Amino acid sequence: MYEVLEDFAQTNDLRETSPGLKLFIGLSSILLCVSSPDPAAPLLVAATMSAAVLILAKIPARFYGRLLLVPVSFAMMSIAVVLFVTGSGPVLFEAPGLPLAVTADGANLALLLLARVFGGMCSLYFIALTTPMAEVFDILRRLRVPAVFIDLAMLTYRFIFILIEEAGQIYRSQVMRLGYGRFRESVQSSGMLAGALFLRTWESGEALVLAMDARCYDGKLGIPGETRPISFIALVSTLIYLGTIFCVSLSTGGPVFA
Amino acid sequence: MHIMEGFLPSPWWQIWFLVSLPFIIIGLYQLNRLVQEKREVLPLLAVAGAFVFVLSSLKLPSFNGSCSHPTGTGLGGVLFGPCIAAVLGLIVLVFQAVFLAHGGITTLGANVFSMGIAGPVVAYFIYRAGTRVGANTYATVFCAAALADLVTYVVTSVQLALAFPGTAGFLGAFTAFAAIFAVTQIPLAIVEGAVIMLVFKYIVQLKPEILTRLNLLSESTIRKLQEATA
Repeated sequence: MYEVLEDFAQTNDLRETSPGLKLFIGLSSILLCVSSPDPAAPLLVAATMSAAVLILAKIPARFYGRLLLVPVSFAMMSIAVVLFVTGSGPVLFEAPGLPLAVTADGANLALLLLARVFGGMCSLYFIALTTPMAEVFDILRRLRVPAVFIDLAMLTYRFIFILIEEAGQIYRSQVMRLGYGRFRESVQSSGMLAGALFLRTWESGEALVLAMDARCYDGKLGIPGETRPISFIALVSTLIYLGTIFCVSLSTGGPVFA
Repeated sequence: MHIMEGFLPSPWWQIWFLVSLPFIIIGLYQLNRLVQEKREVLPLLAVAGAFVFVLSSLKLPSFNGSCSHPTGTGLGGVLFGPCIAAVLGLIVLVFQAVFLAHGGITTLGANVFSMGIAGPVVAYFIYRAGTRVGANTYATVFCAAALADLVTYVVTSVQLALAFPGTAGFLGAFTAFAAIFAVTQIPLAIVEGAVIMLVFKYIVQLKPEILTRLNLLSESTIRKLQEATA
């Protein structure tokens, strides 16, 4: 899954667009989603971001659809609470036998949150699927983020892929030996997996210190930065797009359920 | 417990950024000093960060059928102290947000506070207190990891209840959020405690020099623990 995301980030059709511009579009869309008082603007962001991912970047629709399903459980739980806790306005629905009721205000707030979460998620996936992490690090460095933080982040990023691979191998061999048959065994196996992973991780970290020392590591990692100029058309259309979303979020704002 | 992108309205997401900021600055300062003194700690911290990421994307067995993921930050807090654990937590959360859409950018401040600061602080102090009174090491590690997980989920509930008090008021909303998360989080905290305890046991048995080098356990305690399991 993780490797696939990075693969798409490296090969999609928006790869050559300036990473700064892509980050700017994604982050401003998120801010517009969060500050919009009405579900219309976030839903518009969700639709346009999905369109950009599917049509401009040419990410397969089935893969994108599966990605969108990943983080829904938390959203559902929290939105259910908001739905029942916010209790003013006319009652729309009452649970039979329980002291629970959905009111117009609760429904409006839940709808707004769902739209914001959905818009934000699509914007995040837009960044994740079109911009490789290495370019994000380059931008961070230009924004004068402390070097030690960027170095740590880059090394962490590198190790995540190695560890996931190893965790997968250990997990598969445990499953083949019926390590997750019963609850007790699965706790035991999870602990064994995490423990083995930690030790291997630590050893590969020590090996990395040696390898870096051998290559004259002096406390700084150099990354070649390449600048891709932002084209005038891209900049103008970005500003028009963000301006449209902003106007939509200003001009709407009425409750859906009265 | 990650709060999703877009879930916290302003001013709450800005407030949580401001709350988390001092910890991150202190953490970065400590990190900088540490790396200048001993530059070999940087790769080791990086693998620890990656380990926290992978641990928090592993699925742990849960009692009620649903699988949930651990926070993993308790271990970071015990091993490196709360401020550096906060920096590691920040890195892990940024990665989870921008390449898994798990958590978010505007909710980053709130998530860093609950997972990267509150959890590790609790784990760190429980571990220190436990070793000072000479309690059983494994029991201490279990408590530290399980309580770090529980505190994380309580803090998340507080954050959500502050942002969405509804008509029930803060306390009512808090109980509602806490109750609905408790279904998955309390069993998960116990399982996470057990798993981290097993991790610790493996380290003691196979590579105890890591623990002595980080000043977590003295050599005599490790010898005692090894003899007890042998």
